[in-house]
Amino acid sequence: MAEYQYLFTRIQVRGPLYPGVPLPAEDAPRSKPFGFSHLAGKLGDAQIGPMYLGTYGVLSLMLGFIAFEIIGLNMLASVNWNPVLFVRDLFWLSLDPPLPQHGLRLMMPMHEGGWWLLAGGCLTLSLLLWCARTYARAKSLGLGTHTTWAFMGAIWLFLVLGFIRPIMMGSWSEAVPFGIFSHLDWTAAFSIRYGNLFYNPFHALSIVFLYGSVLIFAMHGATILAVGRFGGEREVEHTIDRGTAAERAGLFWRWTMGFNATYESIHRWAWWFAILTPVTGGIGILLTGTLVDNWYLWAMDRGFVASYPAYDTVNPYLQGAPR
Amino acid sequence: MRFNTTNVTLLSLAGAAAVIGFGLLFTFERLPVQTVQGGFRGTSMGRVDNPRAAVVLAAANQAPEAPEAADATGERAREIYENVPVLGHLSVEQFGRIMNVMTQWLYPGEGDAVGCNGCHVPGNFASDDKYQKHVARRMIQMTMALNSEWTPHTAQTGVTCWTCHRGQSVPANVWHEAPRSTGPNFLTGPGEQNRPNVAAGLSDLPLDPFTPYLMGAQEIRMQGANQHPRPESRQSIQQTEWTYSLMMHMSTSLGVNCTFCHNSRAFANWEESPPQRALAWQGIRMVRDINNTYIESLRERFPPNRLGPLGDTLKANCSTCHQGVNKPMYGAPMIRDYPELLPAPAAQRAEVAGPRMQ
Amino acid sequence: MAVLSFEKKYRVRGGTLVGGDLFDFWVGPFYVGLFGVTTIFFSLLGTALILVAAAGGGTFNPWRINIAPPDIAYGLRLAPMALGGYWQVITICALGAFGSWALRQAEIARKLGMGMHIPVAYSVAVFAFFTLNVIRPVLMGAWGHGFPYGIFSHLDWVSNVGYQYLHFHYNPAHMIAVTLFFTTTFALSLHASLVLAAINPPKGEAVKGAEHENSFYRDFIGYSIGTLGIHRLGLFLALSAGIWSAICIVISGPFWTRGWPEWWGWWLKLPFWSI
Repeated sequence: MAEYQYLFTRIQVRGPLYPGVPLPAEDAPRSKPFGFSHLAGKLGDAQIGPMYLGTYGVLSLMLGFIAFEIIGLNMLASVNWNPVLFVRDLFWLSLDPPLPQHGLRLMMPMHEGGWWLLAGGCLTLSLLLWCARTYARAKSLGLGTHTTWAFMGAIWLFLVLGFIRPIMMGSWSEAVPFGIFSHLDWTAAFSIRYGNLFYNPFHALSIVFLYGSVLIFAMHGATILAVGRFGGEREVEHTIDRGTAAERAGLFWRWTMGFNATYESIHRWAWWFAILTPVTGGIGILLTGTLVDNWYLWAMDRGFVASYPAYDTVNPYLQGAPR
Repeated sequence: MRFNTTNVTLLSLAGAAAVIGFGLLFTFERLPVQTVQGGFRGTSMGRVDNPRAAVVLAAANQAPEAPEAADATGERAREIYENVPVLGHLSVEQFGRIMNVMTQWLYPGEGDAVGCNGCHVPGNFASDDKYQKHVARRMIQMTMALNSEWTPHTAQTGVTCWTCHRGQSVPANVWHEAPRSTGPNFLTGPGEQNRPNVAAGLSDLPLDPFTPYLMGAQEIRMQGANQHPRPESRQSIQQTEWTYSLMMHMSTSLGVNCTFCHNSRAFANWEESPPQRALAWQGIRMVRDINNTYIESLRERFPPNRLGPLGDTLKANCSTCHQGVNKPMYGAPMIRDYPELLPAPAAQRAEVAGPRMQ
Repeated sequence: MAVLSFEKKYRVRGGTLVGGDLFDFWVGPFYVGLFGVTTIFFSLLGTALILVAAAGGGTFNPWRINIAPPDIAYGLRLAPMALGGYWQVITICALGAFGSWALRQAEIARKLGMGMHIPVAYSVAVFAFFTLNVIRPVLMGAWGHGFPYGIFSHLDWVSNVGYQYLHFHYNPAHMIAVTLFFTTTFALSLHASLVLAAINPPKGEAVKGAEHENSFYRDFIGYSIGTLGIHRLGLFLALSAGIWSAICIVISGPFWTRGWPEWWGWWLKLPFWSI
C-alpha cells in the first residue's frame, strides 16, 4: 500500500459551520454560510461562505457586470443579434478601442469607440473598488494590507495598458480591445510594430519574474506538502514558533542549493516575484512607443544582439519596381 | 464501489474529458512531418510541411501537357484574320495553337457557351460583341507584360492563362470589396475585423487587407526605422494588424510561414531576410499593377454577375496564381512552352494596334 | 556559519538511493551524495564546453553568446563539434546535471523524512526541457530543431518558432499554458499576501492565525481554500503550467504544420453552423 501523499484529503471531518472572526460594529453583517461541499473538501476547505457584501463589493460587482454586459451586447450587435453566430464566433468577436482619428477625446460616436471607453471606465472603477474592498476587509480583521498592495501591482499594468500609455501616445486607439482573439492580435501586433518585444529589457525582466513565480510556487507548494506529515501547512504557527516541519523544509533547500528561506521569508520572495511581474511588465509597455520605437534597433545600438551570417538580399527599394 | 454524488460527478467529468480529448485528437495532424531549414542553424527559420497534404497539393497543381510547338514561319495571323490587334504578329499556326489551348485553359468542353464560344460569337470569330473577348484581349496584354516587365517576380518561370484560371473562366481565388458597415449610429455593427477571416487563415485580423495594399499603394511597412520615435514613425498598432492580415494571406496563399521571408527578430531588416522577401516585394507591386491597369480598368465591360456586391471587379491576390504553393505549379516554366504569350518582338511591336487601354 | 543552530541533529547518515555512505557528507551547507558528484561533473563539463564553444563563436559577451544546434541536414546524427556538436554534448550534460539534481533532491528528502514532492515537481520542469530539446527534435527528425544556448539567441528561436505557425497565440494548448502561468502568479501573490498579512498585522495588533486567514477569504470571495489546500492548488497550477507548455510545443510541428488560427476551423465547420 503506497504512502499517503497529502494531495487529496482522505477523511473529511465536519464540525459546525464557522461564522468567521467577529467583525467590528461599523461593518455590515455577513451573509449566511452556504454549507459544505464534499468535492471542495477533497482539495481544500469544505465550507462555502459566508461572504461579506459591503459597499465597495456591491458597487464593484455592479460596475463589473455593467462592463461585462456592454462588451457582450456589443459583440452580439456586431453579428446582427444572431445568437447562433454569437456562440460560433464568440472567440473572434470584440469591442474595439476608438478609431485613431478620435485621439484622446471623451465624446465620440458610440460605435466608433464610445462603448469601449464606457466599458473600460466601468471596469477600471470596478477594479479600484475591489481593491478598496481588500483594504477594508483586511482592516476589519486586523490583518496587514499586503493583498491590497499586491493588487495595486496588477492594477498598475492594467492602467498602463488601457490608460497611461494611450494618453502618452495621444490616442485611445493604442489600447487593448475587449475580445478573446482580438486581444491576442493586439499583443502580436504590438510586438511586431515595436521591433520584437523580446529585446525590451523590461519585458525580459517581467518574464523572469513570471517564470520565477511559477517556479517558486512549485517549490513552495511541494515543500509544504512534503512536510505535511509534520503539520507544515501551519505557516503562521511555524513562523512564530519554529517546529520540525519548518526546520526540515529549510534544511532541504539549504542542503540542496546552499541557502534557504524561512517560513516567513519565503512568502516575501514569493510576494516580490509575483508583484514584480506586472510592475516591470508595465514599465516595459510604457517605454514602448514613447521612448523606444524599435527594440531590436535599440538592442543593436546597446550591443546585445547575437549575430548570424547575413543574407545577400538586395533592398528592392533601391532598384524600384518596373511600374 | 459505492456510487455517491462525488464519484458520479468525477466519473462523468472524466468521461466527458476523455470524449472531448479523443475528439480533439482528430483535429490535429500526424507524424511524420517534413522540414526545410531556411536560416542559420538554431534560428528555426524554414518550412514545416505535412507530406500527405503536400501530395494532394502536388496533384492539384500540375501544368497540363503542352501541345506540339507551332511553326513560327509563314503568314502572320493579321494577314489572314480580321481584328487581331494584340496577337496579329504571330504566325497563323501559332495563333491557332494559342487560341486552341486557351479554350482548354478557360472554357473547356463543347457547347454554346464554352470552347471557342466562350469569347467568340458562334460563327463570327472577328466580332467583338461578347465582353469576354475584350477582357481576354486585355488579359493577353497583361500576360505579356507579366512575362516581360515583371520578370523581377515571374523570372524565367513566367505565367500563362492557366496559372490563374486553371480551367475556369473565373479563377477560383479572387476577391472583391466587401460591404462594411458600423451599424446604426448607436450600435456596433459588422465591422472591418473581428470575425473569422478565411483570407487571413481564420485569424481575427482585418477582413480586407487587399483594397489598401493590393489595389491601393498604402504603406505596408510599419516598424519604426529608428530606435527612438520620430515624427514620421506614426504607424499605430491597429495599422500593424492590417499589415499582419496581408502577411497571413500571403503565407496561406503560398503554403509557407513567416520565416520563409523573414527573421522575425527583425522583420523590416533586409540583411536578415532571405532573398524570397525581395521577390515578394516585387510580387505585391505586380499584383497592384494587375488589379489597377488590367482588371479594374475593365469594370464597365463586366455584367453584374461578374462584379462584386459593391460593383467592383473580381480581382487578383497572391492566392490567385499561387494556390497554396510557393511557386505556382512548383515552378514549372510554362512560358517556355508558350512563346506566343511573350510580347511581340520590338520590330513588330509598333504594328500592334492600340495604345495601352486605360 | 555553514551549520544552522538547529541543524546538527538532522545531519544523520542514510537516505541515499545509490552509493551508500561513500558520498554521504556535506561540504559547507551543501549536501553531496553520489548525485552531487555527478551534478558537479556534468555541470563543470557542460560549462567548460559552453566556454569552448563560445570562444569559437567570436564573443564572450554573455548576452550575445550563441551555441547553436546542428543544421537540419544532420538529422539525428552527431554533428561536427564546431557545427552543432558542442550543442549536442552540452545538451547531454544538461540532462545529466538536471537528472542528477532531481535524484539528489530525492536523497535529501529521504534523509529528512520528507515526501518526494520536490523532486517530482522539479522533474516536471526537466521534462519540459527534455520535450523541447529531445522529444520534439526526435519527432521532427533532426536535432537542429532544438533551441540554441544563448540569452538572446534562444529568444530569436522562440520568436521564429512562433511565426512558423503564423500566430502562435492561437495555439489552444499555449492559451491554456499562458492562463495557467498568469493564474499561478496571481495565486502566489494572494497566498504570499495572506500569510504576510497574518504575520505582520498593523502596529499594536496581535499576530493572526488560520481563523483570520479563512475569515478574510470567505469575506472577500465567499470561499477559503485553507492552509493545506492553497499549497496543493499552487503546486497543481504550477505543474500544470509546465505540462501544458510542453504539450503546446510538442504539438507544434509534429502534430500541426499550418498556422495555428487555422486549427480553429474544426469549430467553425461543425455541421450545424458551418462557415
